[in-house]
Amino acid sequence: MRKLLIVTYDISNPKRLRKVFKAMKGFGQHLQLSVFRCDLTDMERFEMIGLLQGLIHHDEDQILLIDLGASDGRTHRVDSIGRVVPRERREPRIF
Amino acid sequence: MPDLDPPLVPARMLNEFVYCPRLAILEWVDGEFAPNADTVEGAVRHASVDRPGYRVRLRQRTPSDDPGADQPARAPIEQIRSVELSDAGLGLIAKIDLVEIDRDRVQPVDTKKGKRPHVERGAYEPERVQVCAQGLLLRSHGYPCDSGILYFAGSNERVEVPFDDELVALTRSKLGELREAAGAGVLPPPLVDSPKCVRCSLAPICLPDETRFLRDAGSPPRQLLPAADHTFPLYVQQPGATVRKDGDLLVVFDKDEKLGEMRIREVSQLVLMGRVSATEAVYRELLRLGKPIVHLSSGGWLAGVTDGLPHANVRLRQEQYRTADDAAKCLRIARWIVVSKLTNQRVLLRRNGGDEIPESTIEGIRHAAQAAQRAETIDTLRGHEGNGGRLYFGHFAALLRQSPFRERFDLEGRNRRPPRDPVNGLLSFAYSMLSREWVTTCRTVGLDPFLGFYHAPRYGRPSLALDLMEAFRPICADSTVVRAINNGEIGPTDFVERMGSVNLTDGGRRKFLRSFEQRLAQEVVHPVFGYRLSYRRVFEVEARLLSRYLLGEIPTYEPMTTR
Repeated sequence: MRKLLIVTYDISNPKRLRKVFKAMKGFGQHLQLSVFRCDLTDMERFEMIGLLQGLIHHDEDQILLIDLGASDGRTHRVDSIGRVVPRERREPRIF
Repeated sequence: MPDLDPPLVPARMLNEFVYCPRLAILEWVDGEFAPNADTVEGAVRHASVDRPGYRVRLRQRTPSDDPGADQPARAPIEQIRSVELSDAGLGLIAKIDLVEIDRDRVQPVDTKKGKRPHVERGAYEPERVQVCAQGLLLRSHGYPCDSGILYFAGSNERVEVPFDDELVALTRSKLGELREAAGAGVLPPPLVDSPKCVRCSLAPICLPDETRFLRDAGSPPRQLLPAADHTFPLYVQQPGATVRKDGDLLVVFDKDEKLGEMRIREVSQLVLMGRVSATEAVYRELLRLGKPIVHLSSGGWLAGVTDGLPHANVRLRQEQYRTADDAAKCLRIARWIVVSKLTNQRVLLRRNGGDEIPESTIEGIRHAAQAAQRAETIDTLRGHEGNGGRLYFGHFAALLRQSPFRERFDLEGRNRRPPRDPVNGLLSFAYSMLSREWVTTCRTVGLDPFLGFYHAPRYGRPSLALDLMEAFRPICADSTVVRAINNGEIGPTDFVERMGSVNLTDGGRRKFLRSFEQRLAQEVVHPVFGYRLSYRRVFEVEARLLSRYLLGEIPTYEPMTTR
């Protein structure tokens, strides 16, 4: 089962910020500054948590994981005002 | 060859063996491992205890620590993290999370990610045996050790496990049993309808309920494996394209123009077709993750697979080779394969051909299947396969609803090398893609894709993959071709014709790959097990069931047929 998560972060040091940003690109879609949307299995969620735990400063930085519930076969409404949020799916890619 | 230096049993394996003997043998002897949420969460929670270190901390003493003694209220306790110990006499090895030394008392502490279970003796048997094994190791190294601690991180509670005579005897006897089971060369039977299987990360490999169901019948299996996939292939076929790695992304470039990207985590395999390339960083990362890189010509001809080390399950490959040498066994497997293929061909014609297919054709294919079931030699079997195939392809054009494909389809049936009309071109390409999929499935499961039972091994031909795909030619390849044409996903402009041979254009290939992938992601109700799963998952289950048959666990291997 997969879950949809919104991950937002507040990192007080530019070097760590870049590291967190780069790590997050491997897990989800970059929606806005410091906001990612991730469609993850439980296993991937723990992988992500483990990785982020090692990257941040535990007193100065903060990362929020907002759980939007199961993603399989369900559509979550993300409305945007202004620029459109491109829809991204897990699927085979052919170039 | 005698094993002069028997391997040491890891204490962790002893835990698994007490939990489920089959699990321990699958992991330890056959080298099967599949992480899942529980194992990854465990690793994350373990990260801090796995770092070697030493510290002294103060702990409140309770009167029971030292009855009658006049001690200060707080006393130092030494803690050593990540202690690796082994002992050849015991035949054990363990990496102990934490060893606590309180003056002359030494205790191993094992961290568990969950909450403390409310059971007799404070913890389940596998964990108690594991920490006892750690204690025995400490003892054999000369430390006085008569109890251990299980620390449950989920509820932040410590449970003391006394190493009484009963637990020590149990630990020693389980150690002996594990050794014996590992040496016996057979897999212990699966647990029966056990709630333990539901959270077991190896359930999709072990297939406990399916194995039991095919062996002894009884109640249908629970669905312990996920219906759909979380990872997918990345195909690169645009001539001149290059794949590069950027962090956790694979990025595809055409010269300096970025065509797109995919997260490595979501990639199951990288398929490189024709004149494309990938950087060393891409290769290295995919190999590290155990994800294959498949090399094909632009027409889909398999040139090779870049893969890491071969699968550790040597016993399975040995059985595969032994079986391939046994003509009678080969014939039996070949019959199952041909019968399933003919059955599926008949179903596809009957379902999609409507009135245009004469009843005599449908019956003819059925008779071919019945005759194949009784074939006494591989040659007569091939004859029945050919008879059925001629009837099938003789009426295949009736399935196509779109001119000009239909008119041009050769009524003599299949033609290839090179294909002379668009439909035959598509069929050839679809079969290449299907055989590639089966090659990677065989490798995942630990089978050698190049030695089959029906198709003769020939240079560069993945015979086993060809065997296993037979039943799926009609339902995964032919049906995809029919649908792509009938839905207009593929049109006449997607082909180029040169000197009598017909090939897909780059764009046509891309469109067809998309249709093919849709088909593999489509979920079907498994006719025997009764649960839904995608065709790609079906392939993996089939390959694992063949392994179970080869290892003698189930009496037959009959490929999936649709109704």
